[in-house]
Amino acid sequence: MDDPLIVVALLLVAGSATAAVAVRDPARQALVLAVLGTVLAVLFTVLQAPDVALSQLAVGSALTPLLIMLSVRKVRRPKRREETER
Amino acid sequence: MNGWTVAATAALAVGVGATVWGVATGPLRRRVVAQNLSTSLACPALLLLSEGYDRPSYVDLALLLALLGPVGTLVFARLLVEDLAADPPRTWGLTYAVAAFGAAVVIAVCVAAGPSRALVKLLVVGALLIGGNLTASRALSGGFAGSRRG
Repeated sequence: MDDPLIVVALLLVAGSATAAVAVRDPARQALVLAVLGTVLAVLFTVLQAPDVALSQLAVGSALTPLLIMLSVRKVRRPKRREETER
Repeated sequence: MNGWTVAATAALAVGVGATVWGVATGPLRRRVVAQNLSTSLACPALLLLSEGYDRPSYVDLALLLALLGPVGTLVFARLLVEDLAADPPRTWGLTYAVAAFGAAVVIAVCVAAGPSRALVKLLVVGALLIGGNLTASRALSGGFAGSRRG
């Protein structure tokens, strides 16, 4: 009954998921992942699963990007210190 | 489908579609702005969906997104501060346009809800949405000078 809405949400998920794979830099990948989390929550809402959408919002829009960005920072820092020491 | 879901479809296809394109391409400053705007565009779409499906409990989703969306953007603003300080984003026109769209949607949904407890909840969602959006945009463009010493 809401076919156009479901199609739009599915296309958005497919587009952002493809972008998340295609982008190479981890920091930019985290940005695309945050958008993917939001779009997935919208898809779950459109498919009448608001409980799944709630948990997806909580995890996907804030927690996953935070974890990825913290790990990226941790991995990059020692490199910078070595460069300054040289 | 009714008018509300048609409006939600349009907001998702045009607004969120544009932000998906913006976050997938271009320089870093464009990507962080697109990520910020994606949450502030998806939140009005969720409000429209809750009105379109005639399920007031779906407003909780918009409330959570209005709360957590700016938090996610502030994470990026804090951890990408060195990259953004060299090339800060300046897109106040777009930010205010999206904030105005959010305000218009909140007002329309409030008028449809009528005076009740749901109205108060919708107003809280609207205030969180617009306030969070403006705060996150200001943080991205380096507005909070103290946060630069990350």
